[in-house]
Amino acid sequence: MAEGLDFSVRYPFSESAKKHIQGMAPDERIVELAVERVKKALKGESSARMLLHDTEKMEEIASFAAARMMLGHLHNNFLTSRFAVNESKRARGYLDRDGDAAVDEVASRFGIATKGEGDRLAVDLPTYLRYSLRNPDYRLINMRILHGTVEIKRSQKLRLIEEAVRQHVEDIPLVKDPPDIIKQAAKKLLAEIPKNESRIIIKAGDHPPCVMKMLESARKHENLPHHARWYLATYLTAIGMGEEAIVKVFEDLPDFNEKVTKYQVSHIRKKEYSVPSCATIMTYGLCCAVCGIGHPLNWHTLTDDRKGVIRK
Amino acid sequence: MLAVKRIFASYYAEADFPIPGLEQREFGIGNVKKIDARHLNFANATELRRYLCSNTPMFVSHSTAYYEFPGATPIQKKQWKGADLVFDLDIHSEGRYGAYAKLEAVKEEVVRLVDDFIINDFGVGKEDVIIVFSGNRGYHIHVRDKAFLDLGGDERRELVDYIMGQGLDYLDFFGLSDSKPQKLLGPRPDEGGYRGRMARGVLKLLEDNPTALSRKYADQKEREFFISGIKEGNWSRTFLKFDELKKRLKIVADSLPIHSVNTDVGVTQDLSKLIRVPNSIHGETGLVAKIIDDIKAFDPWKDAVLENQNKNQNPKQKTENPSGIGSASEPGNEMKVKFIEDVPQLTLGNDTVGPFKKDEMKELPQRFALLFVCKDSAVLI
Repeated sequence: MAEGLDFSVRYPFSESAKKHIQGMAPDERIVELAVERVKKALKGESSARMLLHDTEKMEEIASFAAARMMLGHLHNNFLTSRFAVNESKRARGYLDRDGDAAVDEVASRFGIATKGEGDRLAVDLPTYLRYSLRNPDYRLINMRILHGTVEIKRSQKLRLIEEAVRQHVEDIPLVKDPPDIIKQAAKKLLAEIPKNESRIIIKAGDHPPCVMKMLESARKHENLPHHARWYLATYLTAIGMGEEAIVKVFEDLPDFNEKVTKYQVSHIRKKEYSVPSCATIMTYGLCCAVCGIGHPLNWHTLTDDRKGVIRK
Repeated sequence: MLAVKRIFASYYAEADFPIPGLEQREFGIGNVKKIDARHLNFANATELRRYLCSNTPMFVSHSTAYYEFPGATPIQKKQWKGADLVFDLDIHSEGRYGAYAKLEAVKEEVVRLVDDFIINDFGVGKEDVIIVFSGNRGYHIHVRDKAFLDLGGDERRELVDYIMGQGLDYLDFFGLSDSKPQKLLGPRPDEGGYRGRMARGVLKLLEDNPTALSRKYADQKEREFFISGIKEGNWSRTFLKFDELKKRLKIVADSLPIHSVNTDVGVTQDLSKLIRVPNSIHGETGLVAKIIDDIKAFDPWKDAVLENQNKNQNPKQKTENPSGIGSASEPGNEMKVKFIEDVPQLTLGNDTVGPFKKDEMKELPQRFALLFVCKDSAVLI
């Protein structure tokens, strides 16, 4: 059972983890750990701790469940998506080190079944679409696909599982009436949400639809793929937004790291990186409308009527 | 329009609506616009038929989505359960009558989309794909494979991008061998996706029209040497410089995607889209949005016209006219119209009609009369 318990600690969303903590009620210690777990997620830090005894391991698993209860009670996008990103990255860390048997057990939790060995794995197309990233390395057009299966490498498989974990953790059912101990702790978490709701105000039509979509995702604390962040930063730089304001836009992302973001935004300005063309944005998988403008900055040369037609 | 609607209604009285999950779909109807009212739902095909006979709208469409409560409003309350994967292939053309001469060209893309992409790449069973004439300028392909029903909008968009070759860079398929830099490696014909499609495309070109690549490929030996390499993924067995070869392969790369997918209105990625009901009438043409068995043989001006429908129920119409009089002009199916604008000469299937002048009065076969009336170019008199 000890090994099973370690598996459950690493993957607290698994069925075996559920079984391990069945019947356990959240006590003060567990709730404390849960609050800590969410706080770490907000900072993007690892929540790894030294766990010596089985009881500690049980508490660790239960802290995940308790954290989910709190988030289910609060139903706050900001907290939930940061927690989901952090938990998926945590799981990924273990997946990178675990053997195929453990990886496949986690994968099966999300219906990700692969055939083949090594770096020639076949996964079925709908599953692939559900969990793949919208970036050139994962665009369907660049993949080998045959009879409903997509060929992926082992590292890509791990990335699909990471995304599946993120989606699963993010999808928390509403917990209307949790135990009091959870309710009180949840209140504490609310205080952790940064109070910078004074955002740049953006009107419909201010930016091309793809930019609007990214801003909207950021505002809802949804994750953005790397290329989307790059495009958004170059675009906002090009239209003359200040570095600080741009960093503020990224602050809403679930895995926001102030230092890294500041560095990257100022790097883009210093190096004068240009805004990618529509063709490139298409290859990123970020194009979401038919503007026919060739380059995002041309949006600002359009008439309001034309913008309105495209937005429809 | 009353006379037109009477003709529509008589078709609907016997029309067949094989719509899986009909009771879980939202319906929309239109007279002025294509959709004036939506959120309708019907328990079964009989109810739908009864509605169409008594109300007879010009357009009727159903959701690609399946809902727990299809008639509920607002849309969030319907409880989305999944949606067919639908592709809309159509022709962009000048003027209201420009598309009909080009309908034939879209058929080739429909065949490629279904056989090559949907069945071969996506792994969908033939029985889960239906091809439907849109009733106007193109074709709808409905995919009802359970594995695809719960895909989100972004994921469907990815499939459309794939089909349309968005972001396809065929030069990426080629690279020099690490061990032998004089060897050009590339896709093999048995590979999946665009790589295999590219290799097969080049092989086909070398078979059908070898000189399109180089005049020297008229020589069988040169050709076969090159082909034998491609089959193993070795693209070096050519006298062409690699860069020149790659440049010339662009004509093949450009022919691989499906170009006529209509993405403007988001048919594929919109999860609450309403689409023309298969076997219903398109109110802008008077043609039936027929479910098609054999796309290659399909001729809208023969197979989708109202006077040729419901024939099984009316075997009498099929009997020959023994006197032979008027058989070409189809007795009883002529309608008198008066044109209210000029219409250019049109080729519709095997027939050439027009041109017509404003105020001209004319007796026309029903299918053409309906077309001009539905298009507001003429009125029935």
